[in-house]
Formats: sequence, C-alpha cells, structure tokens
Amino acid sequence: MRCDFCGAVFDETEAQQACTGCPLAGACRKLKCPRCGYEVLPEPNWVKAVKFWGGKILAGRKSTART
Amino acid sequence: MSASRAEVVAYPETVENALAEICGLLKGPYRISPRAVGLLLLQDDAEIQNLVREREGLPVYQRITGVVKRCKETLHEPIDYAVVTARQKRIGAIIAAAVTETAPASATFADRLSRLMMNPWTGIPLLLLVLYFGLYKFVGGFGAGTVVDFLESAVFDAHIIPWVNNLVDAHVPWASVRELLAHEYGVITLGLRYAIAIVLPLVGTFFFAFAIIEDTGYLPRLAMLIDRVFKKIGLSGRAVIPMTLGFGCDTMATLVSRILETRRERIIATLLLALAIPCSAQLGVIMALLAGRPAAVLMWAGVVALVFMLVGWLAAQILPDQRPIFYMEVPPLRAPRLTNVMIKTYTRMRLYFVEILPLFILASVLIWLGQITGLFTALVNALEPVVQIIGLPKEAAVAFLFGFFRRDYGAAGLYDLHTAGRFDGVQLLVAATTLTLFVPCIAQFIVALKERGAKIAFAMFFFVLIFAFGVGYILNAALRSLGVTL
Repeated sequence: MRCDFCGAVFDETEAQQACTGCPLAGACRKLKCPRCGYEVLPEPNWVKAVKFWGGKILAGRKSTART
Repeated sequence: MSASRAEVVAYPETVENALAEICGLLKGPYRISPRAVGLLLLQDDAEIQNLVREREGLPVYQRITGVVKRCKETLHEPIDYAVVTARQKRIGAIIAAAVTETAPASATFADRLSRLMMNPWTGIPLLLLVLYFGLYKFVGGFGAGTVVDFLESAVFDAHIIPWVNNLVDAHVPWASVRELLAHEYGVITLGLRYAIAIVLPLVGTFFFAFAIIEDTGYLPRLAMLIDRVFKKIGLSGRAVIPMTLGFGCDTMATLVSRILETRRERIIATLLLALAIPCSAQLGVIMALLAGRPAAVLMWAGVVALVFMLVGWLAAQILPDQRPIFYMEVPPLRAPRLTNVMIKTYTRMRLYFVEILPLFILASVLIWLGQITGLFTALVNALEPVVQIIGLPKEAAVAFLFGFFRRDYGAAGLYDLHTAGRFDGVQLLVAATTLTLFVPCIAQFIVALKERGAKIAFAMFFFVLIFAFGVGYILNAALRSLGVTL
C-alpha cells in the first residue's frame, strides 16, 4: 500500500501501529501512514477479490497461449 | 573501526559547542556514543531525556537542559532543521565523491511540472486552476447543477416525496407519526432526501476530484508551496495534512492534527479547522449555493481565506513561540489511474454514506421530538433574531440549528431555502460565509474536547460562534452599504 501524501510504502500491520492512541482506532476503517500520518483508504474486499481472481485468470490465459 | 573526525557530520558551530558541553557532562553508561546522546537531547527526544535524568541525576540533567535552552536561543533556526540539513549536506558530499554521472539526465515533463507546482509564482495560479475546475466547475457545476437537480426534482420531488406523503396520510392515523415519517421534517422526506439527493452527489463529485488530486501526487507539492505561508500563522507545511483531510471531514482532521510537532501548532490547527475549513459536504453545498455567481464564490473564498490567515496569525502571536519545521521527500508526480480514482471515490462515498445516513435519520427524529415538545420552535425562535441581524430571512434559523448537529445537515438546509428562492445574492454569500465559519458539529467538538481539553475546546466554541456571526454581520453591512448586488 502506498501513501497518497508522502509516497511511503507500508503494509496494514505498520498502519495499525500508527493508529496507537487514537480513540477511533479500528473504528474509522481508514489506514494511517506510519511516516506522515496521512489517512489512506483501504482497498474494499471485493476489489481485492477481483484483482486476485483477475490476476489468476490472466496468468492462466498467458500460460495457455505460451504452450 | 573508529570513526575519524572527517567521517562524522559537522553541525553548525553553536550545535557543536553545545554538543561538546553536553558530552563533558555525560558520565553514565549508554549503548550509543555521548555525541549521539547529546544530539538526541538537543532534539528533545523524550526517551533519552528520561534516561539521562535517571543515569546522571537531576542536577546534571538540569545543567544539560540549560545548555539545550541556550543553544536553541542562539541558533537562528530550529535545531532539528539544522541537524537534518547538516546531515543532508554530508550525504550529498559522500554521494558526490562516490557516484559518477556519465550524462546529466534531462528533466522530464513531470519534473518540470513538479517544479512549477512548488514555485510560488507558478504554483499559486496552478492551485487556483485546480480549485476552479475541480471545485467550482465540477462539484458546483456538474455535482450541484446536474446530479442534484436530477435527483431532487426528477426523483424525489416528482415521485418519492408525493408517494411517501400519500402513503403515510392514507395508512397512518396518528398525526405525530405522520410528521415523523413524512411531510416537512420527516425521516424520509427530510433525512433521506438530504442524504441521498443533496449531500451524497455533492460529496461524490468532491471525492472524485479529490481522488484525482491525491493520485497525481499533488498534495506534497501543495504542502511545499504553502509551507512559507503557513509559517506566518504558526504552522508548517505538515499542517497541510490535517487541513486537506479537513476538506473531507473536520472531525477526523482534528484527530489527525496530533501529528503536528508542537502543542501550539495543534491548537492553531484545531481552531482553524473548526473555523475556516468547510467539510466535503458543506463545501459541496456551498458550491451549489453559489453556482452561477462567480463573483460571490470569489468573495466567499476571499473572506474565508482572510479569516484563516488573520485568525491564524493572531493565534500565532498570542501563543508562545515554538517555531515549527517541515521537510519531506517529495514523491514523483504521476498521471492518475482511473481505477485508483474510482475505487477511492467509491470507498469514501460508502464510508461517508454509512456514517451520515443514521445521523441524518437521528437528526430528523430529534427535530420531530423537538417539535412535539416545543423545544425546536423555542430554539428556532431564539436564533431568528440572530440570523435576522446578519440580514438573512428568519427561516434560515432552522438551517443554523441543523448546523449545530452536523455542518452538512445545516448546509443542506440552506440549499433547501435557496431552491425555494428565499435568498438574494448578498444573502446567499452571507449565509454561505457564516455557515462556513460556524461552530463545528457535535462530533468535532467532542474530539476537540478530548484532544485539546475542555478549556480550549469551549473557548474555541464560543469564539467561533461569535466570530462567525460577527463576520456575517460585517459582510452584510458592508455589501448593503456599498449597494453590491451579486
């Protein structure tokens, strides 16, 4: 995941650490960049699923085309 | 291998003298060198301060804090900044000695545009272009003019509201329950209509424009551009983060203001967020109110910007001086990706809608309860003279009362009055300006209470309340006396 403000690349675990002390931690559903504090939106689950399955299908087609 | 003198970073003379003095005072065992401990002490590292106080004892620690204080007073720039720039200089020298560039890389279009965005002479016109097309034309023109018009007139007014009213009138025998569900302040006819037909299309278009801005990497450049201006009001470019997020939601932005380095910065940022940063829905509705009146938009933006700068500057003068510093690595400028923009817009709209819908329904229920008990009418009656003083029709009192609950709810109320033709141009400008500066919503107030303490939160609340109506009064009086028509 990349921060929209400072460009730092981080994962969700690091983002949770950046939320320490916030009364809304875990409830606001946003992720905070551990470097600059900017709020980044998490990818919805259906988008993750589309990317995952889309990637698999594309990879399958490419390997079939090669053979 | 021990580091020779030539290998360490040479800091400004004042810092080096302070470091030598601190190193001479440090006797206890540390895992890092005395020079590193000294540098951390000079940069007010809380963890190392506690450690040194514990290992050296209070008298020595107090002598060290005296050295740090003298160094801060003598140095013409913040110690953090001096340390970072000295390190960058050393890094630059090492790179220059170790790396050979065969051919100078030519600047790409993105590099040139990036520089133009950060240069004040070109950056400010570019910012105005972004605001004009992104906010005024897209949110105010397309969002309010096309989408809201369609949803309000063609969907809600033409079909849903008459159908709900008829259905409720035909099947619900109790007048009070009919009022709860339908008619003037009903859950469906007011709460749901505000949320779906007015606020959602406006925040949707705003979020779309904002996602494009985010995805291009423009925000850090904006931070660099306005860092100098923000320094005048006691903030640094870092404050762009809460201020920008404030255009989404002021409550979340107030929480984010904790990333600012000094207490002074945090207080100023909270005050400015409460006063002069309209949230996404409010901004959308204001653009809708002033759509087609470019002079009014310019005046509104001018007054709000003036208030932002003036109040920020005054706050910076009143609060004790702790100069903020800001430096950041600027990521590359890139073309926005439509999929990213669409996903961000969708996610923001979903989160926003899930958040506001219950609140808007709750607001309608509270208004209904207030009407039954007579409290709503009493509060509206109390507010009517105040809104009349600033030249607005007394019906605007209802919108301001809504605004106490949520800013966007109040703004949507003003939009309703506007579509009913209750405002002339000057009244629109006065209403938009006063509501922008008006007190924060309940959620933001609670967060300010928690983050800044009761004394500061209440002081801000009353200051903002009086100031907003004060500015509204002056603006109305000035425009009327000058015979301005908008």
